[in-house]
Amino acid sequence: MIALRRYGLTVIAVFSTVIIFIVPFLFIVLTAIKDRTEAARLDFSWPTNFPVWENFWTVISTRNFMLVTAYINSTLITVGAVTLLVILAAMVGYVRQRRKGWWNGLVDFLVLAGLMMPPAVVPTIWLLQEIGLFATLHGMVFIQVAYNLSFCIILYRAFIATIPRELDEAAIIDGARPLDVFFRVILPLLKPVTVTVIVVQSVTIFNDFVNPLYYLPGNQNVTVQLTLYNFQSQFSTAYNLLFMNILLVTIPPLIVFLFYNRQIVAGMTAGAVKG
Amino acid sequence: MMAMSSSATASNAPLTKRQRTSPYPTWFFLPAAIIYGVLFLFPTFSSIYFSLTRWTLFDSTFIGLDNFAQFFREPFLIQGVINTIIFALVTCTLKVVFGLGLAVLLTSDIRMRALLRSIVFFPVLVSAVGVGIAFTAMMHPTRGIINIALDLVGISGPGWLTNPALAIYSVALVEVWRGVGLATVIFIAGIMSIPQDYYEAARIDGASAWERFCYITLPLSRPATVTVIILSFIHGLRNFELVWAMTRGGPGFASDVLASVIYKQYQAGFYGLSTAGNVVLFVLIALMAIPLYIYLNRREGHQ
Amino acid sequence: MADLALKSIHKSYGSVEVIKGIDLDIGHGEFVVFVGPSGCGKSTLLRMIAGLEEITSGELYIGEKLCNNMEPRDRGIAMVFQSYALYPHMSVYDNVGFGLKLAKAPKEERDRKIREAARILQMEHLLERRPSQLSGGQRQRVAIGRAIVREPEVFLFDEPLSNLDAALRVDMRMELSKLHQQLGATMIYVTHDQVEAMTLADKIVVLNNGEVQQTGAPIDLYKNPANLFVAGFIGSPKMNLSPVIAGEVSGSRIALGGEGLEQLSYAFDGHRQKPGDRLTLGIRPHALKISETGPVKGKVDLVERLGNETIINFRLGNGEQWLAVVDGDAPIGRGGAVAFSVAESDIMLFDENGENVRCLVSAVDGEI
Ligand SMILES: Nc1ncnc2c1ncn2[C@@H]1O[C@H](COP(=O)(O)OP(=O)(O)O)[C@@H](O)[C@H]1O
Ligand SMILES: [Mg+2]
Repeated sequence: MIALRRYGLTVIAVFSTVIIFIVPFLFIVLTAIKDRTEAARLDFSWPTNFPVWENFWTVISTRNFMLVTAYINSTLITVGAVTLLVILAAMVGYVRQRRKGWWNGLVDFLVLAGLMMPPAVVPTIWLLQEIGLFATLHGMVFIQVAYNLSFCIILYRAFIATIPRELDEAAIIDGARPLDVFFRVILPLLKPVTVTVIVVQSVTIFNDFVNPLYYLPGNQNVTVQLTLYNFQSQFSTAYNLLFMNILLVTIPPLIVFLFYNRQIVAGMTAGAVKG
Repeated sequence: MMAMSSSATASNAPLTKRQRTSPYPTWFFLPAAIIYGVLFLFPTFSSIYFSLTRWTLFDSTFIGLDNFAQFFREPFLIQGVINTIIFALVTCTLKVVFGLGLAVLLTSDIRMRALLRSIVFFPVLVSAVGVGIAFTAMMHPTRGIINIALDLVGISGPGWLTNPALAIYSVALVEVWRGVGLATVIFIAGIMSIPQDYYEAARIDGASAWERFCYITLPLSRPATVTVIILSFIHGLRNFELVWAMTRGGPGFASDVLASVIYKQYQAGFYGLSTAGNVVLFVLIALMAIPLYIYLNRREGHQ
Repeated sequence: MADLALKSIHKSYGSVEVIKGIDLDIGHGEFVVFVGPSGCGKSTLLRMIAGLEEITSGELYIGEKLCNNMEPRDRGIAMVFQSYALYPHMSVYDNVGFGLKLAKAPKEERDRKIREAARILQMEHLLERRPSQLSGGQRQRVAIGRAIVREPEVFLFDEPLSNLDAALRVDMRMELSKLHQQLGATMIYVTHDQVEAMTLADKIVVLNNGEVQQTGAPIDLYKNPANLFVAGFIGSPKMNLSPVIAGEVSGSRIALGGEGLEQLSYAFDGHRQKPGDRLTLGIRPHALKISETGPVKGKVDLVERLGNETIINFRLGNGEQWLAVVDGDAPIGRGGAVAFSVAESDIMLFDENGENVRCLVSAVDGEI
C-alpha cells in the first residue's frame, strides 16, 4: 500500500516536472512555426499550416540581415574571449596552485570578488570611451575576459592541483624553461578542464545580454541576444517571428548541451562549489 | 653532451648572485591582472568617486552624498532597493526548496533519470531574454496559457505581470524556473557525495524514507545548501535580464530592481545617480559576500 | 670529471632545519646510495643536487663548478622519480626524446639516441605506446631511458623501485647495477630500503634527521657501524640490542653484566670504559650460535623454520626480545631454554652517546 502510494507520488512528481519544464519549450517551438494570426492567439494549439520557412527567412532578413550580422559578431566575441580566457586563466591557476607567495591571498580575494561583484557600469563605459574600446568588438572581448576570468581560474586551479608536481620537475630536469613546462607539458594535460571551460564560457558569453547592451551599442555591433531585444518592439504583433528568433538564438546552446552536457554540468557545479 | 662539460674549467668563480628563476614565474599573472585590473577593478574603485558627483561623462561635479540621499528619498528608487531584496529572497528560497526536492527525486531510483536531469538543467543555458519573452506571452492575463490552464481547473488567474503588487513575484517565479536546474545539479552532487553506508545503516535501523531525508540527506548536504543559497542570493541581487525582458520594471516602477534602475538612470543621463545605484548594489552584495569569504576561509583552514 | 662535492650543505623550510650541514665527496663513476628512514631528508638532499630545491647555505660542486645557483638543465644531471613522472600525453618515443627536442637536437641525432637508449633498456617494441599502456616495470624503463638520452654526468634516483612489486624490484635492481657498469656514470640513489642500499652501493651514506650518520662501503657499515642508529638500521633482521653495565676491567678486557648475559666479556685495546659505565650491547642475529654452554641464555618464544635457516625468537632473563638466525633446521621447541655463544669479534658495544666504542675490528677471536 505504502509502496504503491510512494510510487504514485513519484509518478506525479516526475510528470509535473516534465510538464513544467517542457511546456514552455513546446510553446516556443509551436508559436515559432505558426502564422501570424494563430501565433497572436498565444494558445497552446497545433498549427493549421506551417510557414516555417517564411518565418525563418523573414527573421533572418529583417533589417538588412541583422541576425546574420549578430551571429557573426557573437561568434567573434565568443571565440576571441574564450581563447584568451583559456590561456590567461590557466596561467593564473597554474602559478597560483604551484607557487607559495604573499600574493596568494590577494589573488584568491580578487578571484572571489570577480565572481560575485557586479561591474560598475557607467565608469566602465567612461573608461572604454577614454581608451577607445567603447562599442568595439575587441573591447567587448576584453570585457568578457575580465568578467569571466574568476570562474575559469577556479576551475583550472582545482584541476592543476590533481597534476603531480613531479611532472613539472621532470620537465625542468629535461631542460624545459618555464614557458616550455607550461605550454608543452601542463597545458596539454589540462584538456578535460579546458573543454569544460570552453563549453561553459561559450554558452555564457553567447547568452550574455547585459554587457553588450551597455558596451556595444550600434546596429553593426549587434549581438544575438540584442536582436531579441531589438525585435521585441519591431515584432510586437508578430509573435511567430519573435519566437522564431528565440528558437534560433537557443539552438547553439542546445547543440553544445547535447554534445557536452556532462562537462557543462560538471563545470558549473565545480565552479559554484569551489567558488 | 651537457653544456657544463665543455665549459667546466672555464669558470670557477662563485656565482653568488641569485640568478635562478622560479619555474613558476609570477609574470604569468600579468596579462590576466592587466585586463582584470583595468576593466574591472579600476571602474569599481572609481565608481566610489563618481557616485559622489553629478556627472556627464565629460565633466563631473562633486556633490557629496546627494545621490545617495536621493536614492533613499525618491519612492521609486527605494522601491528598486526593496524589490531587489525581495527578488533575491524569493528566488533563493524557492531555488533551495525546489532544487533540493528535485535533487532527491532525481537521485532516487527512477527511470530516465539522466534525461530528466538534462530537462531540468537545460533552461540554465537558454537566453534569459528569450525565456523572459516566452513567459511574458504565457503570462498574458487573458490569453496566456497559464491563466487558460488555471481556468480549466476553475481558478481565475491573476494579471501576473500587469498587477503591480504581483509583477516582481511573477518575474521571480520565472527566475526560479530558469535557475533551479543549477541548484538541482549542485544538490545532486552534494547528495551523491554522501556515502551509501549511512543510508544502509539507517535502513537497518528501520528509518523511514522521510527520516532518512531529515537525518541524513539534509544535514550531510549542508555544504551544497550553503553554496546554493549564496549563489542564488547573489545572482538574485544582480538580476537584470528577466526584469528587463518581461516588465521593463513596470507597471510603473512596481517591478524595478537595482540593476534596472541603474540602466534607466544611465539612459536618462543621470550618470552619477546610476553609479550610486551601482555602489548600493556593491554594498548589498558585500554584506552577503564578506560572511561567505570568512566562511570559506574557515572551511579551508579546517582541512 | 664529474666528482661531486657537498660542503656544509644546509636546508631550512622557514624555521625548520631539515638538512643540518652535510659534507660529502662523491667520486666519478661511484654508485652512492643515500639511505635512511622516511622523512630524514634524503629526497631533499637529492633535490638540492638536482637543482629542484634552493640550497639554504653551503656549497655544491659538480665537476669543478659551483652549482648552487645553476639551473637544473645546466648541471649535467638526470633524474628518475619515484612516480616515474612520464608525460601522459606523449608516446614513449616522445617522452624519451623530450629533453633532446628542448635542446633543439637535430632530428636524426634525436632518433639515434632514443633508439640507442631503447636498445640498452630492451624496450624498442614499446616506443609507440602511451605511458598509460605500460606496466609499472615498463614505465620504470622509460623513465630511465629518458635519463639516459641526456647523457648526464650524474644520474639521480629517488626511490625508483618502491612502486614496483617485490619480484620486479629484485630484477630491476640487478638491471640498474648492470646499467651502472655499462654507462660508467656517477649514480646517486635514494632509498629507505637498506637491502637495496647494501646490494647496489659502492658507497652508502646513512642519513638520520638531516645529518650523515656514517659513510662507507656496505660491508664496513655492516661490520663496523659507527653508532647505534647505523647498527639498528643496516642489516636484516635488525641487530639485537640490550643495555649492559661494564663490570670488572682487566687489561683490554671488560666484563659485561646483564640478566641472561652471563660472563660475557669483550676485549678491545684502548677502550676508555670504567666499571659501572652504562653501555649498549649489540649482537647480530646471524652471529649467535646454539651452544649448551654459551653465555647468551633465554627462553624460546617462537620458532620460524624456513628450511635453510631457522629464526628463533627468544627472551633474555631481563625480558628483552632477541632474535637468532641459525643455519639449517635447529631442533628447538617453543618454551624451552636455549643458550647461544658468540664470537668476540661479533660483539659490538656502544657508549652512552650511542657511539661504537670499537672503531676497528678486534683481532681477538675466541669462543667464550
Ligand atoms: N616543501 C616542504 N616544506 C616544509 N617541509 C618539508 C618540505 N619538503 C619536505 N619537508 C620536510 O623535510 C623533511 C625531509 O623530507 P624528505 O627529504 O622528503 O624526506 P625523505 O625523502 O628522506 O623521506 C621531512 O620532515 C619533511 O616533512
Ligand atoms: Mg623521499
